Amino acid sequence: MRRPTLFLPRESSLHALHPLTKLVGSGLFLLLALMLPEYWQVVLLFILGLLPLAYLGKVARPFLRTTTGLILPFAMSLFLIQGFFAPGEILLVSLGPFALKAEGVMLAVRFTTRLLVWLGTTTLLMLITRPDHMMQALMERGLPRQVAYIVLTSLQIIPRFQQQAQIILDAQRSRGLETEGGLFHRIRMLVPLVTPLILGSILELEERAIALEARAFSRAGARTTYTQLEDSVTQRTLRYGLLAVLVLTAAVWIAARLAG
Amino acid sequence: MIELRGVTYCYPGASAPALEDVSVHIIRGKVYGIVGANKAGKSTLCYALTGFIPHFFHGKLDGQLWLAGRDVRIQSLASLAGLTGLVFQNPFNQISGARFSVREEIAFGLENLGVPTREMHSRVEQALITTGLRELADRSPYQLSGGQQQRLAIASMLVMQPDALVLDEPTSQLDPIGTRDVFDVLHRLAEERDTAVVIATHKLEWLATCADEVLLLHQGQVLHKGPPREVLSRRDAAELGVRSTSYTLAARALSEQVKELRSPLPVTLEQALDALR
Repeated sequence: MRRPTLFLPRESSLHALHPLTKLVGSGLFLLLALMLPEYWQVVLLFILGLLPLAYLGKVARPFLRTTTGLILPFAMSLFLIQGFFAPGEILLVSLGPFALKAEGVMLAVRFTTRLLVWLGTTTLLMLITRPDHMMQALMERGLPRQVAYIVLTSLQIIPRFQQQAQIILDAQRSRGLETEGGLFHRIRMLVPLVTPLILGSILELEERAIALEARAFSRAGARTTYTQLEDSVTQRTLRYGLLAVLVLTAAVWIAARLAG
Repeated sequence: MIELRGVTYCYPGASAPALEDVSVHIIRGKVYGIVGANKAGKSTLCYALTGFIPHFFHGKLDGQLWLAGRDVRIQSLASLAGLTGLVFQNPFNQISGARFSVREEIAFGLENLGVPTREMHSRVEQALITTGLRELADRSPYQLSGGQQQRLAIASMLVMQPDALVLDEPTSQLDPIGTRDVFDVLHRLAEERDTAVVIATHKLEWLATCADEVLLLHQGQVLHKGPPREVLSRRDAAELGVRSTSYTLAARALSEQVKELRSPLPVTLEQALDALR
Protein backbone atom coordinates (compact mmCIF):
# COMPACT_ATOMS: atom_id res chain seq x y z
CA MET A 1 0.00 0.00 0.00
CA ARG A 2 1.19 3.52 -0.79
CA ARG A 3 2.53 5.49 2.17
CA PRO A 4 -0.37 7.45 3.62
CA THR A 5 1.61 10.60 4.39
CA LEU A 6 4.69 12.48 3.19
CA PHE A 7 6.26 12.40 6.66
CA LEU A 8 9.78 10.93 6.81
CA PRO A 9 11.08 9.99 10.25
CA ARG A 10 14.58 11.45 10.78
CA GLU A 11 16.72 12.38 13.76
CA SER A 12 16.88 16.10 13.17
CA SER A 13 16.49 19.27 15.19
CA LEU A 14 13.75 20.36 12.82
CA HIS A 15 11.77 17.17 13.41
CA ALA A 16 12.09 17.68 17.16
CA LEU A 17 10.36 21.06 17.08
CA HIS A 18 6.81 21.36 18.37
CA PRO A 19 4.34 21.06 15.47
CA LEU A 20 2.91 24.51 16.14
CA THR A 21 6.39 26.08 15.96
CA LYS A 22 6.77 24.50 12.53
CA LEU A 23 3.29 25.67 11.55
CA VAL A 24 3.99 29.28 12.55
CA GLY A 25 7.37 29.19 10.78
CA SER A 26 5.65 27.91 7.65
CA GLY A 27 3.11 30.71 7.91
CA LEU A 28 5.97 33.20 7.83
CA PHE A 29 7.37 31.69 4.63
CA LEU A 30 3.95 31.73 2.99
CA LEU A 31 3.48 35.38 3.89
CA LEU A 32 6.97 36.43 2.79
CA ALA A 33 6.45 34.78 -0.59
CA LEU A 34 3.30 36.84 -0.99
CA MET A 35 4.90 40.08 0.17
CA LEU A 36 8.24 40.12 -1.64
CA PRO A 37 7.78 42.32 -4.71
CA GLU A 38 10.47 40.87 -6.98
CA TYR A 39 10.50 37.33 -8.31
CA TRP A 40 14.25 36.95 -7.67
CA GLN A 41 13.69 37.76 -4.02
CA VAL A 42 11.16 34.94 -3.84
CA VAL A 43 13.64 32.60 -5.54
CA LEU A 44 16.26 33.63 -2.98
CA LEU A 45 13.76 32.86 -0.21
CA PHE A 46 13.50 29.34 -1.60
CA ILE A 47 17.25 28.86 -2.09
CA LEU A 48 18.48 30.52 1.09
CA GLY A 49 15.51 29.77 3.31
CA LEU A 50 13.69 26.56 2.49
CA LEU A 51 16.54 24.57 0.97
CA PRO A 52 18.91 24.90 3.97
CA LEU A 53 16.01 24.00 6.26
CA ALA A 54 15.35 20.89 4.17
CA TYR A 55 19.04 19.96 4.58
CA LEU A 56 18.79 20.59 8.29
CA GLY A 57 15.76 18.29 8.42
CA LYS A 58 17.68 15.64 6.40
CA VAL A 59 14.95 15.60 3.79
CA ALA A 60 16.58 17.72 1.04
CA ARG A 61 16.31 15.13 -1.73
CA PRO A 62 12.63 14.15 -1.21
CA PHE A 63 11.88 17.83 -0.66
CA LEU A 64 13.32 18.78 -4.05
CA ARG A 65 11.79 15.78 -5.79
CA THR A 66 8.30 16.41 -4.42
CA THR A 67 8.39 20.16 -4.90
CA THR A 68 9.62 19.82 -8.50
CA GLY A 69 6.97 17.21 -9.25
CA LEU A 70 4.29 19.53 -7.90
CA ILE A 71 5.48 22.79 -9.47
CA LEU A 72 6.17 21.56 -13.01
CA PRO A 73 2.56 21.07 -14.19
CA PHE A 74 1.55 24.40 -12.62
CA ALA A 75 4.54 26.18 -14.16
CA MET A 76 3.83 24.81 -17.62
CA SER A 77 0.17 25.76 -17.61
CA LEU A 78 0.94 29.19 -16.14
CA PHE A 79 3.51 29.91 -18.84
CA LEU A 80 1.20 28.81 -21.61
CA ILE A 81 -1.89 30.63 -20.32
CA GLN A 82 -0.23 33.83 -19.11
CA GLY A 83 2.40 33.93 -21.86
CA PHE A 84 -0.08 33.65 -24.70
CA PHE A 85 -3.24 35.16 -23.29
CA ALA A 86 -2.26 37.90 -20.83
CA PRO A 87 -2.38 41.38 -22.37
CA GLY A 88 1.01 42.84 -23.35
CA GLU A 89 2.99 44.79 -25.91
CA ILE A 90 6.35 43.09 -26.17
CA LEU A 91 6.11 40.22 -28.60
CA LEU A 92 8.60 37.39 -28.04
CA VAL A 93 7.43 34.62 -30.41
CA SER A 94 4.55 34.41 -32.83
CA LEU A 95 2.93 31.02 -33.54
CA GLY A 96 0.18 31.50 -36.10
CA PRO A 97 -2.72 33.25 -34.34
CA PHE A 98 -0.94 32.99 -30.95
CA ALA A 99 1.64 35.46 -29.69
CA LEU A 100 3.92 34.93 -26.69
CA LYS A 101 4.32 38.23 -24.86
CA ALA A 102 7.05 39.28 -22.41
CA GLU A 103 4.55 40.76 -19.93
CA GLY A 104 2.67 37.44 -19.76
CA VAL A 105 5.89 35.48 -19.29
CA MET A 106 6.90 37.84 -16.46
CA LEU A 107 3.54 37.38 -14.80
CA ALA A 108 3.93 33.60 -15.08
CA VAL A 109 7.42 33.83 -13.52
CA ARG A 110 5.99 35.81 -10.59
CA PHE A 111 3.17 33.34 -10.01
CA THR A 112 5.43 30.33 -10.42
CA THR A 113 8.08 31.50 -7.98
CA ARG A 114 5.46 32.30 -5.35
CA LEU A 115 3.83 28.97 -5.91
CA LEU A 116 7.24 27.32 -5.63
CA VAL A 117 7.72 28.73 -2.13
CA TRP A 118 4.15 27.94 -1.09
CA LEU A 119 4.31 24.35 -2.31
CA GLY A 120 7.86 23.97 -0.98
CA THR A 121 6.85 25.25 2.46
CA THR A 122 3.86 22.92 2.65
CA THR A 123 5.92 19.98 1.42
CA LEU A 124 8.67 20.64 3.94
CA LEU A 125 6.16 20.97 6.76
CA MET A 126 4.61 17.63 5.82
CA LEU A 127 8.00 15.92 5.43
CA ILE A 128 9.12 16.88 8.94
CA THR A 129 5.83 16.72 10.88
CA ARG A 130 3.76 13.68 11.75
CA PRO A 131 0.17 14.52 10.84
CA ASP A 132 -1.19 12.97 14.04
CA HIS A 133 1.19 15.11 16.11
CA MET A 134 0.04 18.20 14.24
CA MET A 135 -3.59 17.28 14.91
CA GLN A 136 -2.81 16.58 18.55
CA ALA A 137 -1.16 19.99 18.89
CA LEU A 138 -4.16 21.66 17.26
CA MET A 139 -6.60 19.69 19.43
CA GLU A 140 -4.72 20.88 22.50
CA ARG A 141 -5.49 24.40 21.19
CA GLY A 142 -9.18 23.67 20.74
CA LEU A 143 -9.61 21.93 17.39
CA PRO A 144 -12.64 19.59 17.70
CA ARG A 145 -11.43 15.99 17.89
CA GLN A 146 -14.02 14.93 15.29
CA VAL A 147 -12.32 17.24 12.77
CA ALA A 148 -8.89 15.85 13.65
CA TYR A 149 -10.27 12.32 13.34
CA ILE A 150 -11.68 12.99 9.86
CA VAL A 151 -8.38 14.50 8.66
CA LEU A 152 -6.29 11.63 10.00
CA THR A 153 -8.55 8.82 8.82
CA SER A 154 -8.79 10.37 5.35
CA LEU A 155 -5.00 10.23 5.10
CA GLN A 156 -4.96 6.52 5.84
CA ILE A 157 -8.18 5.48 4.18
CA ILE A 158 -7.57 7.03 0.75
CA PRO A 159 -4.61 4.70 0.00
CA ARG A 160 -6.75 1.79 1.24
CA PHE A 161 -9.53 2.95 -1.10
CA GLN A 162 -7.05 2.89 -4.00
CA GLN A 163 -5.92 -0.58 -2.98
CA GLN A 164 -9.53 -1.80 -2.85
CA ALA A 165 -10.20 -0.29 -6.28
CA GLN A 166 -7.22 -2.19 -7.69
CA ILE A 167 -8.45 -5.47 -6.12
CA ILE A 168 -11.92 -4.96 -7.63
CA LEU A 169 -10.39 -4.03 -10.99
CA ASP A 170 -8.25 -7.18 -10.99
CA ALA A 171 -11.24 -9.29 -9.94
CA GLN A 172 -13.39 -7.84 -12.76
CA ARG A 173 -10.57 -8.35 -15.27
CA SER A 174 -10.13 -11.97 -14.20
CA ARG A 175 -13.81 -12.46 -15.01
CA GLY A 176 -13.18 -11.23 -18.53
CA LEU A 177 -14.18 -7.59 -18.18
CA GLU A 178 -12.45 -5.54 -20.89
CA THR A 179 -10.97 -2.49 -19.18
CA GLU A 180 -8.78 -1.23 -22.04
CA GLY A 181 -10.07 0.74 -24.98
CA GLY A 182 -11.42 4.14 -25.95
CA LEU A 183 -12.54 6.89 -23.59
CA PHE A 184 -16.26 6.05 -23.70
CA HIS A 185 -15.57 2.37 -23.19
CA ARG A 186 -13.41 3.16 -20.15
CA ILE A 187 -16.07 5.45 -18.70
CA ARG A 188 -18.65 2.67 -19.13
CA MET A 189 -16.30 0.25 -17.39
CA LEU A 190 -16.26 2.49 -14.31
CA VAL A 191 -19.70 1.19 -13.29
CA PRO A 192 -18.60 -2.37 -12.36
CA LEU A 193 -15.60 -0.85 -10.59
CA VAL A 194 -17.23 1.98 -8.67
CA THR A 195 -20.43 0.16 -7.63
CA PRO A 196 -18.78 -2.51 -5.44
CA LEU A 197 -16.29 0.05 -4.15
CA ILE A 198 -18.97 2.46 -2.93
CA LEU A 199 -21.30 -0.27 -1.65
CA GLY A 200 -18.43 -1.96 0.18
CA SER A 201 -17.44 1.31 1.81
CA ILE A 202 -21.00 2.03 2.96
CA LEU A 203 -21.22 -1.44 4.52
CA GLU A 204 -17.88 -0.88 6.25
CA LEU A 205 -19.17 2.36 7.77
CA GLU A 206 -21.49 0.60 10.22
CA GLU A 207 -18.72 -1.63 11.56
CA ARG A 208 -16.36 1.32 11.82
CA ALA A 209 -18.92 3.26 13.85
CA ILE A 210 -19.44 0.29 16.20
CA ALA A 211 -15.69 -0.13 16.62
CA LEU A 212 -15.31 3.56 17.51
CA GLU A 213 -18.14 3.43 20.03
CA ALA A 214 -16.65 0.30 21.60
CA ARG A 215 -13.50 2.34 22.15
CA ALA A 216 -15.33 5.15 23.92
CA PHE A 217 -14.98 7.64 21.08
CA SER A 218 -18.16 9.52 21.95
CA ARG A 219 -17.61 9.42 25.69
CA ALA A 220 -17.93 12.82 27.34
CA GLY A 221 -15.19 14.06 29.64
CA ALA A 222 -11.49 14.74 29.66
CA ARG A 223 -9.15 12.82 27.39
CA THR A 224 -5.49 12.02 27.70
CA THR A 225 -2.85 11.42 25.05
CA TYR A 226 -0.43 8.54 24.63
CA THR A 227 2.20 10.80 23.06
CA GLN A 228 3.42 13.88 24.89
CA LEU A 229 4.53 16.57 22.46
CA GLU A 230 7.92 18.03 23.38
CA ASP A 231 7.79 21.72 24.09
CA SER A 232 9.97 24.16 26.03
CA VAL A 233 9.81 27.70 27.33
CA THR A 234 12.40 28.81 24.74
CA GLN A 235 10.44 27.25 21.95
CA ARG A 236 7.15 28.65 23.17
CA THR A 237 8.71 32.12 23.39
CA LEU A 238 10.14 31.72 19.88
CA ARG A 239 6.76 30.55 18.61
CA TYR A 240 4.82 33.42 20.11
CA GLY A 241 7.50 35.83 18.88
CA LEU A 242 7.22 34.44 15.36
CA LEU A 243 3.45 34.59 15.56
CA ALA A 244 3.60 38.24 16.63
CA VAL A 245 5.97 39.03 13.74
CA LEU A 246 3.66 37.16 11.36
CA VAL A 247 0.52 38.97 12.47
CA LEU A 248 2.19 42.40 12.55
CA THR A 249 3.82 41.96 9.14
CA ALA A 250 0.55 40.78 7.66
CA ALA A 251 -1.32 43.71 9.20
CA VAL A 252 1.24 46.29 7.97
CA TRP A 253 1.30 44.74 4.51
CA ILE A 254 -2.49 44.69 4.21
CA ALA A 255 -2.74 48.27 5.53
CA ALA A 256 -0.09 49.43 3.05
CA ARG A 257 -1.91 47.79 0.17
CA LEU A 258 -5.24 49.26 1.20
CA ALA A 259 -3.67 52.71 1.50
CA GLY A 260 -1.73 52.52 -1.72
CA MET B 1 -22.13 -8.96 35.28
CA ILE B 2 -24.43 -9.11 32.22
CA GLU B 3 -27.99 -10.29 32.40
CA LEU B 4 -30.57 -10.61 29.64
CA ARG B 5 -34.08 -11.52 30.77
CA GLY B 6 -36.64 -12.58 28.19
CA VAL B 7 -35.04 -10.49 25.46
CA THR B 8 -36.78 -10.46 22.08
CA TYR B 9 -35.28 -8.21 19.46
CA CYS B 10 -36.28 -7.36 15.91
CA TYR B 11 -33.99 -5.37 13.57
CA PRO B 12 -35.65 -2.31 11.96
CA GLY B 13 -37.69 -3.42 8.96
CA ALA B 14 -37.30 -7.15 9.72
CA SER B 15 -40.41 -9.31 10.00
CA ALA B 16 -38.93 -12.06 12.21
CA PRO B 17 -37.08 -11.49 15.48
CA ALA B 18 -33.31 -12.01 15.46
CA LEU B 19 -33.46 -12.93 19.17
CA GLU B 20 -36.46 -14.53 20.79
CA ASP B 21 -37.05 -14.79 24.52
CA VAL B 22 -33.35 -15.00 25.32
CA SER B 23 -32.30 -15.17 28.96
CA VAL B 24 -28.59 -15.26 29.67
CA HIS B 25 -26.59 -14.62 32.80
CA ILE B 26 -22.89 -13.89 32.29
CA ILE B 27 -20.68 -13.78 35.36
CA ARG B 28 -17.11 -12.60 35.81
CA GLY B 29 -14.17 -14.96 35.52
CA LYS B 30 -15.93 -17.41 33.21
CA VAL B 31 -15.62 -18.16 29.51
CA TYR B 32 -18.82 -18.55 27.52
CA GLY B 33 -19.19 -19.90 24.01
CA ILE B 34 -21.96 -19.02 21.59
CA VAL B 35 -22.49 -21.55 18.84
CA GLY B 36 -25.08 -21.97 16.13
CA ALA B 37 -25.62 -21.98 12.39
CA ASN B 38 -25.14 -18.83 10.30
CA LYS B 39 -28.01 -16.38 10.95
CA ALA B 40 -28.84 -18.14 14.23
CA GLY B 41 -28.46 -14.81 16.05
CA LYS B 42 -24.88 -15.09 17.35
CA SER B 43 -23.77 -11.61 16.28
CA THR B 44 -27.07 -10.10 17.43
CA LEU B 45 -26.59 -11.66 20.86
CA CYS B 46 -23.05 -10.20 20.97
CA TYR B 47 -24.48 -6.74 20.22
CA ALA B 48 -27.14 -7.19 22.91
CA LEU B 49 -24.51 -8.21 25.47
CA THR B 50 -22.52 -5.04 24.79
CA GLY B 51 -25.38 -2.53 24.66
CA PHE B 52 -25.19 -1.89 20.91
CA ILE B 53 -28.70 -3.28 20.96
CA PRO B 54 -30.76 -1.17 21.60
CA HIS B 55 -28.50 1.91 21.38
CA PHE B 56 -26.85 1.51 17.99
CA PHE B 57 -29.24 -0.82 16.16
CA HIS B 58 -32.59 0.60 17.09
CA GLY B 59 -35.38 -1.85 16.14
CA LYS B 60 -37.92 -3.31 18.56
CA LEU B 61 -36.71 -4.66 21.89
CA ASP B 62 -38.64 -6.42 24.64
CA GLY B 63 -37.24 -7.79 27.85
CA GLN B 64 -34.57 -6.56 30.24
CA LEU B 65 -30.86 -5.97 29.74
CA TRP B 66 -28.57 -5.35 32.70
CA LEU B 67 -24.88 -4.52 32.47
CA ALA B 68 -22.80 -4.25 35.65
CA GLY B 69 -25.97 -3.53 37.59
CA ARG B 70 -27.14 -0.83 35.20
CA ASP B 71 -30.29 -0.97 33.13
CA VAL B 72 -28.85 -0.78 29.60
CA ARG B 73 -32.05 0.69 28.16
CA ILE B 74 -31.77 3.90 30.16
CA GLN B 75 -27.99 4.33 29.87
CA SER B 76 -26.25 5.94 26.91
CA LEU B 77 -23.84 3.89 24.84
CA ALA B 78 -21.02 6.30 25.73
CA SER B 79 -21.61 5.73 29.45
CA LEU B 80 -21.30 1.96 28.94
CA ALA B 81 -17.97 2.27 27.09
CA GLY B 82 -15.17 0.55 28.92
CA LEU B 83 -17.50 -1.77 30.83
CA THR B 84 -17.68 -4.25 27.98
CA GLY B 85 -15.44 -4.72 24.98
CA LEU B 86 -16.52 -5.94 21.57
CA VAL B 87 -14.28 -7.54 18.97
CA PHE B 88 -15.81 -8.62 15.71
CA GLN B 89 -14.89 -10.65 12.69
CA ASN B 90 -13.41 -8.11 10.29
CA PRO B 91 -10.32 -6.68 11.99
CA PHE B 92 -9.69 -4.08 9.31
CA ASN B 93 -12.83 -2.14 10.20
CA GLN B 94 -11.84 -2.08 13.85
CA ILE B 95 -8.69 -0.06 13.19
CA SER B 96 -9.42 3.53 14.17
CA GLY B 97 -7.58 4.94 11.15
CA ALA B 98 -6.45 7.87 13.27
CA ARG B 99 -3.23 6.38 14.62
CA PHE B 100 -0.05 5.62 12.75
CA SER B 101 1.49 2.81 14.79
CA VAL B 102 0.26 -0.38 16.44
CA ARG B 103 1.28 0.97 19.84
CA GLU B 104 -0.74 4.17 19.42
CA GLU B 105 -3.66 2.29 17.94
CA ILE B 106 -3.89 0.12 21.06
CA ALA B 107 -3.81 3.29 23.19
CA PHE B 108 -6.69 4.93 21.27
CA GLY B 109 -9.44 3.62 23.56
CA LEU B 110 -7.46 4.51 26.68
CA GLU B 111 -7.04 8.08 25.44
CA ASN B 112 -10.80 8.33 25.06
CA LEU B 113 -11.30 6.95 28.57
CA GLY B 114 -8.91 9.55 29.95
CA VAL B 115 -6.43 7.03 31.42
CA PRO B 116 -3.27 8.80 32.70
CA THR B 117 -0.38 8.66 30.22
CA ARG B 118 2.01 6.70 32.43
CA GLU B 119 -0.58 4.03 33.17
CA MET B 120 -1.51 4.00 29.48
CA HIS B 121 2.09 3.19 28.52
CA SER B 122 2.33 0.23 30.89
CA ARG B 123 -1.08 -1.14 29.86
CA VAL B 124 -0.18 -0.87 26.17
CA GLU B 125 3.13 -2.67 26.74
CA GLN B 126 1.29 -5.44 28.59
CA ALA B 127 -1.29 -5.78 25.80
CA LEU B 128 1.51 -5.93 23.21
CA ILE B 129 3.18 -8.76 25.10
CA THR B 130 -0.06 -10.63 25.76
CA THR B 131 -1.07 -10.61 22.09
CA GLY B 132 2.43 -11.19 20.72
CA LEU B 133 2.56 -7.88 18.88
CA ARG B 134 5.63 -6.42 20.59
CA GLU B 135 7.86 -6.85 17.53
CA LEU B 136 5.31 -5.02 15.38
CA ALA B 137 4.60 -2.20 17.83
CA ASP B 138 6.00 0.59 15.66
CA ARG B 139 4.51 -0.57 12.37
CA SER B 140 1.46 1.01 10.78
CA PRO B 141 -1.69 -0.98 11.65
CA TYR B 142 -2.39 -1.11 7.92
CA GLN B 143 0.88 -2.94 7.26
CA LEU B 144 -0.17 -5.95 9.33
CA SER B 145 -1.54 -9.21 7.97
CA GLY B 146 -5.19 -10.15 8.59
CA GLY B 147 -4.23 -12.37 11.53
CA GLN B 148 -2.01 -9.70 13.06
CA GLN B 149 -4.79 -7.13 12.65
CA GLN B 150 -7.12 -9.54 14.44
CA ARG B 151 -4.69 -9.74 17.35
CA LEU B 152 -4.46 -5.93 17.28
CA ALA B 153 -8.26 -5.69 17.53
CA ILE B 154 -8.17 -7.96 20.58
CA ALA B 155 -5.26 -6.02 22.12
CA SER B 156 -7.14 -2.74 21.58
CA MET B 157 -10.05 -4.10 23.58
CA LEU B 158 -8.31 -5.98 26.36
CA VAL B 159 -6.10 -2.96 27.09
CA MET B 160 -9.29 -1.19 28.18
CA GLN B 161 -9.69 -3.88 30.85
CA PRO B 162 -13.42 -4.28 30.42
CA ASP B 163 -15.40 -6.32 32.94
CA ALA B 164 -16.70 -8.40 30.04
CA LEU B 165 -15.12 -9.02 26.66
CA VAL B 166 -17.41 -10.18 23.85
CA LEU B 167 -15.79 -11.56 20.70
CA ASP B 168 -17.65 -12.43 17.51
CA GLU B 169 -15.54 -14.82 15.41
CA PRO B 170 -12.29 -13.34 16.72
CA THR B 171 -10.02 -15.91 15.10
CA SER B 172 -11.58 -16.15 11.63
CA GLN B 173 -8.36 -14.98 9.96
CA LEU B 174 -5.91 -16.80 12.20
CA ASP B 175 -4.01 -20.01 11.50
CA PRO B 176 -4.25 -22.87 14.05
CA ILE B 177 -1.29 -21.60 16.09
CA GLY B 178 -2.64 -18.06 16.12
CA THR B 179 -6.06 -19.40 17.10
CA ARG B 180 -4.60 -21.42 19.96
CA ASP B 181 -2.70 -18.37 21.22
CA VAL B 182 -5.83 -16.21 21.19
CA PHE B 183 -7.90 -18.80 23.05
CA ASP B 184 -5.05 -19.13 25.57
CA VAL B 185 -5.04 -15.36 26.10
CA LEU B 186 -8.80 -15.26 26.56
CA HIS B 187 -8.73 -18.15 28.99
CA ARG B 188 -6.01 -16.44 31.03
CA LEU B 189 -7.97 -13.19 30.94
CA ALA B 190 -10.91 -14.90 32.61
CA GLU B 191 -8.75 -16.73 35.13
CA GLU B 192 -6.28 -14.04 36.09
CA ARG B 193 -8.24 -10.82 35.56
CA ASP B 194 -11.65 -12.13 36.48
CA THR B 195 -13.02 -10.90 33.13
CA ALA B 196 -16.17 -12.45 31.69
CA VAL B 197 -15.28 -13.66 28.20
CA VAL B 198 -17.94 -14.46 25.60
CA ILE B 199 -16.83 -15.98 22.30
CA ALA B 200 -19.06 -16.63 19.29
CA THR B 201 -17.17 -19.01 17.06
CA HIS B 202 -17.28 -21.96 14.68
CA LYS B 203 -13.89 -23.20 15.94
CA LEU B 204 -15.40 -25.67 18.37
CA GLU B 205 -12.27 -27.70 19.10
CA TRP B 206 -10.71 -24.63 20.70
CA LEU B 207 -13.88 -23.40 22.31
CA ALA B 208 -14.46 -26.79 23.93
CA THR B 209 -11.07 -26.62 25.64
CA CYS B 210 -11.59 -23.29 27.35
CA ALA B 211 -15.32 -22.56 27.70
CA ASP B 212 -17.10 -23.02 31.01
CA GLU B 213 -20.51 -22.82 29.41
CA VAL B 214 -21.81 -23.01 25.85
CA LEU B 215 -25.03 -21.48 24.53
CA LEU B 216 -26.47 -23.12 21.44
CA LEU B 217 -28.53 -20.68 19.41
CA HIS B 218 -31.07 -21.68 16.82
CA GLN B 219 -33.30 -19.22 14.99
CA GLY B 220 -32.71 -16.57 17.62
CA GLN B 221 -33.46 -18.82 20.59
CA VAL B 222 -31.09 -20.31 23.15
CA LEU B 223 -32.03 -23.96 22.70
CA HIS B 224 -29.39 -25.46 24.95
CA LYS B 225 -26.90 -24.20 27.48
CA GLY B 226 -24.48 -25.99 29.72
CA PRO B 227 -20.92 -27.32 29.88
CA PRO B 228 -19.27 -27.74 26.44
CA ARG B 229 -19.30 -31.53 26.67
CA GLU B 230 -23.01 -31.58 27.32
CA VAL B 231 -23.99 -29.13 24.57
CA LEU B 232 -21.49 -29.88 21.81
CA SER B 233 -21.81 -33.65 21.94
CA ARG B 234 -25.58 -33.62 21.41
CA ARG B 235 -26.81 -35.89 18.64
CA ASP B 236 -29.14 -33.17 17.31
CA ALA B 237 -26.32 -30.60 17.07
CA ALA B 238 -25.84 -31.20 13.34
CA GLU B 239 -29.56 -30.64 12.69
CA LEU B 240 -29.22 -27.31 14.50
CA GLY B 241 -26.34 -26.30 12.25
CA VAL B 242 -23.53 -27.01 14.72
CA ARG B 243 -20.94 -29.45 13.56
CA SER B 244 -19.38 -31.87 16.02
CA THR B 245 -15.73 -31.62 16.99
CA SER B 246 -13.43 -34.14 15.31
CA TYR B 247 -13.04 -35.89 18.69
CA THR B 248 -16.81 -36.28 19.05
CA LEU B 249 -17.06 -37.66 15.51
CA ALA B 250 -14.25 -40.14 16.12
CA ALA B 251 -15.74 -41.18 19.46
CA ARG B 252 -19.19 -41.57 17.92
CA ALA B 253 -17.73 -43.89 15.26
CA LEU B 254 -15.96 -45.92 17.95
CA SER B 255 -18.80 -45.89 20.46
CA GLU B 256 -20.35 -49.10 19.13
CA GLN B 257 -17.18 -50.94 20.19
CA VAL B 258 -16.08 -48.85 23.20
CA LYS B 259 -18.97 -48.36 25.57
CA GLU B 260 -16.99 -45.89 27.79
CA LEU B 261 -17.20 -43.42 24.92
CA ARG B 262 -20.96 -43.43 24.75
CA SER B 263 -22.39 -40.78 27.02
CA PRO B 264 -21.61 -37.97 27.03
CA LEU B 265 -19.34 -38.14 24.00
CA PRO B 266 -15.98 -36.34 24.40
CA VAL B 267 -15.57 -32.95 22.73
CA THR B 268 -11.85 -32.40 23.38
CA LEU B 269 -8.73 -34.49 22.84
CA GLU B 270 -8.18 -34.71 26.60
CA GLN B 271 -11.67 -36.07 27.18
CA ALA B 272 -11.30 -38.58 24.33
CA LEU B 273 -7.98 -39.81 25.72
CA ASP B 274 -9.42 -40.04 29.24
CA ALA B 275 -12.33 -42.12 28.00
CA LEU B 276 -10.02 -44.47 26.12
CA ARG B 277 -7.57 -44.96 29.03
